[in-house]
Parts: sequence; structure tokens; C-alpha cells
Amino acid sequence: MGLKAVVSSPSPAFSTDESGAVEVTNVGHVYETASGTTEALTDISFRVETGRFISIVGPSGCGKSSLLMMIAGLVQPTRGTITAGGRPLVQPDPTRIGVVFQDASLYPWLTARSNVEFPLSLRHVDHKIRRERAEEALDLVGLAGFADKHPHELSGGMKQRVALARGLVQDPPILLMDEPFAALDEQTRLTMGDEVLRIWERTRKTIIFVTHGLSEAIHLSDEVLVLTSRPGKLVDRVSVDLPRPRSFEVMGGRRFEELRERIWQRIRS
Amino acid sequence: MSTASHALPSPRLVRTAIVLGVLLIWEILPRAGIVPSLFLPPMTTTLQMLVVEAPIYARHMLVTLQEVGIAMIFACGGGVLCGLAIGGAASARQIMLPMFSGLFAVPLVVLYPLFTAWFGIGSESKIIFASVYGFLPTLLGTAAGVQTVDRQFLIVARSLGATRMQKLWHVYLPATLPTVLAAFRLGGALAIVGVVVAEMLTSTAGIGFLISKYRTLLDSPRVYAAVVLVLVLAIAFDGLVQVLERRLGIAQQQSGRSVGKRSVASAVA
Amino acid sequence: MNTATVRNTGARSIPAPVARAALVAALIAVWQVAPTVGLLDPRLLPPPSVVGPMIVQLFGEAGFRGHLATTLLETLVAFLVSVPVGFIMAILIGENKYASDIFKPLVFFVFSIPKSIFLPLFIFAFGISFHQKVAFGVFSTLFIVMMLSFAAIESVRRDHLVVARSYGATRMQTVLRVYLPGMTPVLLEAIRVSMIFNFTGILLAEMYASREGLGNVIEQWGQGFQLDRLMATIVVIAAIAIVFNETIRALESRCEHWRE
Repeated sequence: MGLKAVVSSPSPAFSTDESGAVEVTNVGHVYETASGTTEALTDISFRVETGRFISIVGPSGCGKSSLLMMIAGLVQPTRGTITAGGRPLVQPDPTRIGVVFQDASLYPWLTARSNVEFPLSLRHVDHKIRRERAEEALDLVGLAGFADKHPHELSGGMKQRVALARGLVQDPPILLMDEPFAALDEQTRLTMGDEVLRIWERTRKTIIFVTHGLSEAIHLSDEVLVLTSRPGKLVDRVSVDLPRPRSFEVMGGRRFEELRERIWQRIRS
Repeated sequence: MSTASHALPSPRLVRTAIVLGVLLIWEILPRAGIVPSLFLPPMTTTLQMLVVEAPIYARHMLVTLQEVGIAMIFACGGGVLCGLAIGGAASARQIMLPMFSGLFAVPLVVLYPLFTAWFGIGSESKIIFASVYGFLPTLLGTAAGVQTVDRQFLIVARSLGATRMQKLWHVYLPATLPTVLAAFRLGGALAIVGVVVAEMLTSTAGIGFLISKYRTLLDSPRVYAAVVLVLVLAIAFDGLVQVLERRLGIAQQQSGRSVGKRSVASAVA
Repeated sequence: MNTATVRNTGARSIPAPVARAALVAALIAVWQVAPTVGLLDPRLLPPPSVVGPMIVQLFGEAGFRGHLATTLLETLVAFLVSVPVGFIMAILIGENKYASDIFKPLVFFVFSIPKSIFLPLFIFAFGISFHQKVAFGVFSTLFIVMMLSFAAIESVRRDHLVVARSYGATRMQTVLRVYLPGMTPVLLEAIRVSMIFNFTGILLAEMYASREGLGNVIEQWGQGFQLDRLMATIVVIAAIAIVFNETIRALESRCEHWRE
């Protein structure tokens, strides 16, 4: 069941399977402030096929996090449509989409296990199944021995692993990650990147990863979407043709630097 | 919600309307005979008392003011000095602060009968009671402020070879001024309450004495008039300290917790 | 102000709890010795050797137990009314931005004015009675409950709410599973501090005008110069207040890490 089923039958990276596809069409977002209306995003369109790993990069304030929140169904776009798994989203649907937030956002009063079980318990999933699935998910992120710890007893990296397990526990085909490693130190960030790749290769989720780290984006993704700011606009889609499986050692290679340079130029223009 | 509020009257306007409404009700309810005027004499009757009986109120107010003034010197002066001393010395802080904040839980009103037995029912017992009443919160507030003094300031001061006295004068005092003023505001308010409460319980003079005397005579307009006077005194003191704070350029933190913390005890009893 | 943060800076220093116990012991010793050697009048300051047995004696008297029960009952009823009412009012105000803008300054104002001077008005309204004590207790407590409840509501982290929403929590689930546990540390503090206001309000009301209750007896014993009884009662009242306060504080420190 759940994660195991997916783990044992990895789907190909490119498929006609709609379940994990995300389609963003002509999305624009305007919000009101005291000084008038601000256009945060304008006319964004792209499609992500099932099982792909894409990153969204851009300067701070370009609305990349807002875009992710819209895909998650947490914010409604002012214009345009978003579909996930072939169907539009009017509200968050945790069975289709799991979300990992910037600073883990674990509930400090719950143990790691209970935090992971939280999405299941909201849907009144049976106790035993809940526990099994949480244990599987914690195992997957390499925290099998830490189920009974509270968040304050865990390091920053471990907390993000718990948050990742929470995002995976319902086995949604799509996983959204909003600058998940921004608060971690450099070394932990690199290992966490490899960890996410390992999990992605085992589960073949569609992952949309928002970051402001260009290296991180290239290291992880099949494709990097580049946004510019005010208003947020999609200016480039850069295909990352580095061989997989990858580790953070891809960084610094010639092709890596070329890609990095190209993205950097696009952001600056 | 935010867009709807454009159509609604401004909060300040509504607030003014509420206050005016309360004053109007205070006038109308007893006049219309809905509420017996023993419970609630009309506002105009009450204020009239302040004019008619002005000499009596003035004489007793003077007694109260004297007691409050002396009590403030003890409560605020003593509280700030002890707070600086305890907060500034790590060992004293560790040993004494938990004791004092534990002591803070004790309803100090119960000491007043002891003080009247020791010092009689004249001004002395009021002054001592009000001093004790305002002392502890002032001390706790000041000590908390000293604790938050940036260690960096102190290291710099020490590297410049400052003596203990110099550190107190040039580092602690300016750095803790906002907290000290807040503590003064609190201690002063408590000294006012302390004196009036003590006068209400057992005494022969003062505004509090008038409140109790007229209460036993069931002369409610005169009771209300005295209550109004005390309110004016308390509000005037608070306003004065606020002006002082503004003069010294101390920005007020008006948000939730800090307000709650700072003035926690300002309404005790 | 937190015992948990106490750290010993050097090996030569005595542990803080030991030093604290020593300090308390020293104070009690002075209290004992000063009146005994004639430094102070033992009739004005009965030493612990007199007050201690007096406490035991008082608990043996049905009259005193009755007064104690009255005070505790009034305190309990006032507390059980003011805390939920204040909390619910704070939620109704705090949940809506417009209502917050209107009412928060008013609540803060009423909170900051002295309450005790309104005591006579409660006697006009209710007579000298159980109801009057409870009503005054509620009046003295309600606004601090509201102030601290505002703080409790604000202490709930926004990202915790977003997580709940992204995982499809219903409104009820959000309240029970996120708001309530998220507020608990500040809510416990609210309960602790409110009790100080509440207990003080009840005792003052009893001291001011009453026929029963601990506040009433200390007022009488003070005027009758029965200082041994007065001191014993003060010690009992202080003990009740400190025990309640420290119990809640222990609970608070258990969920201290919830604040992160």
C-alpha cells in the first residue's frame, strides 16, 4: 500500500500519466495594499509532466512562493487556471499534493511520528494504518529511530526530513517544496539535496521545488523555470541535461557552470 | 474583510460612539427610573457633587496626593534600585528573581491589617502599604530590563576599563531607561491604587476614606464623584509618564504581549 | 525569571536552589530570633514558633475552616466565570480585525484603570453577599484574562495554520488541533496571572465589607490586635497563592519548548 506500492514500481520519468501533471495557464496575481494594487505575477504558463523534477528560481519578491501556494490551492490566482492531476484545484487537496514549507513548520507539541501522522489523522485514517504509513515515511527519509522525538530535540536538517515525510505520507503524486533548505547550513543543504534526489528516484513523484539557490536548482532538477520580479514573469525554461543519478558533486563541472551562467544572465536581465 | 471595512465607519469613530453611548446611558437609565439612582446616580448629579463639595474633595485629595507622592518615591525608587542591583549581578539574579516572582503571586492586600496594627491608621500605614504594593512589580520590571542589556555593550565597556559605577551609569542606565520608565509607570499606578485601597479599608482621611464614608451613608452620588476623581488621578499619572516617555524618544510597543506583560499588575486589586 | 535558565557560572558558586533555601531559612531565623531576644515586640511580630502551632490550631477550628471554604468557593466560582467568559470574548474580538481595532484599545483602557475603587458600586448593586464578592472577583479578573487571551491568540504561528489548511483541516480541526495546543503555553500563563487578580479581588472584597471569609477574619484580627492569628492566616493565604502559582508554572515549563 501507499508508499511501498510506488516504491516497488517506479514509473518512467516521461509518461502520458496525468495523475502527477501540473498545468499552469495564463496565471496572474494581483493583491491590494494600502497604496493600491500590486501586480505580483503576470501571465505565467507552463506544464510539468508526471514524475518530473522542476525548480523555480528568481530574485526575492518575484512571487515564486506565491505561485507555489497557488499550485497548492492555498491561494486563488486572480487570473488564469491551475490544474493538478488533470483537475482544477479550488482548495488544498492533500491526496493530490503534498507541501513542504520553508521552516519545517512542525507542531512542537507532537512527536516526529505524530507530526507525520497529522495529515492522516485529519482524515480519520485508522490508527494502525496511520502508524504503519508514518513509520514507512520516516524510514524513507532516514529517521526511523527518531519517531518519538519532539521537534525541539531534532536538528534543522532532521526537522526538514520530518516535514518531507509528512508531505509524503499520503503518497500524493505531486510534492511542492517551498525553499525547504533555505534555513539550513551549507553542508546540510547539500546532503539534503542528495536525500531528496534519492527519495525522488525511489518514488518518482512530480516535484516542484522553489529556491533562490541556482546551484541547488541545477543540482536537483530536470528543468529550471526562471522568474523575474515586479511583476513576476516566466522568462526562461532551462533544461538541465546533466546525467542522472546525480549527487552534489555535479556542481563545479563545466556544463554545470554553463547552465548556471545562463540562468544568472536571465535573472539579471 | 479588508475590502468591506472601507464601507464601515472608522474604528476610532465607533469607539468614540461607544464611550459617548456609555455616558449617555449613565445619564438616562437612572433618570428614566430604569435603574434605581442608589445603584447609579445620573452622570450630571455625580459631576455636580464635585463642584458643590469641591472644598471637601480638595482637602482629602491633598492627603491622598501626599501619601501617593511619598509612596512613589519608596516604591519606584526602591524598586528601580533593587531591580538594577539584582538584575545586574548574575548570582543575585539567579537566586532572588525566582523568589520575587513567586512572591508576586501573593495577594499583598492581606498585609494591610498587619500594617495598621503596627503603624496605626494614619498616613504611615498607607504609605508603607502602597510602597510595598508598588515595589515588587517595579523591581521585577527593572530586573527584566537589565537582563536584556546587550552583552556587547558590556564587553565594550569592560574593554575600555569602566568601573562598576561607570558601567551602571553609562551602560545599564541608558540601556534600561525604557524598562525603568515602564516600571515607574507600573509602580506609580500601583502606589495610587495602594493608597486609595488602604484609605478605603481603614483610615480617617483621603479620597478612599470619602468613598467608604459615603458608601456607609448610602450617598451614592458622592461615592461616584470620588471614584471619578481617583480615575482622573490614575489616568493623569499614566498620561504624564507617557508624555515623559515620548519626550525621551522611547517608542511605545503597543502590540499584544508586551502590553500585557508590562502592565500585568497595573490593575491588581 | 525562569528557574530553567539558571546556570552556574563557576565551580565555586553554590547552586541557586541551595542558596535560595538558605536565604529563606535565614529570613525565618531572623523572624524567630528578633522577637525572642527582645529586639522586636513579640506581640507585634509573633515568631514562627508561635505562628506555626497557631496554623495547626486554626485548622482545628470549625469557624476558620468555614471561612477558608467560603473564600475558596468564591474564588473558584469567580474564576470559573471570568476565565471562560474573558477567553471567549477575546476570541470574538481577536478573530475579526475590525472588532479588534475597535475594542482592543477599550479593553486595554479598562484593564489599566484601578478596579478596587468600584467595590462600593458592587455593594450598591448586590448588597453585601456571596454574589457581590463573586461579581467583584469576575470584574477584577475579566480584563486581564482578555488581555492575556489576545496575546495567546497572537502566539499561534501563522505557518502552523497554513500547514493545517494545506492538509485539508476543517475549521473545527484547526481550532482543536492547532489553535488550542498552540496557545497552551500562553494560556497557562493567562490562568496563572488571572488567578492572582482573582484571589486578590475576592480577598479585598471580603476585607472591605463582609461577614465571612478569610479577608474578613484578618481584618477583624488586625483590629483586635490578635496578631498571632493574623500572621497565621496571612501565611496560609500566601501558601495557597504560591502553591497554585508554582503548580501552573511547572506545567508552563513543561510545554516551554512549544513556544520554540
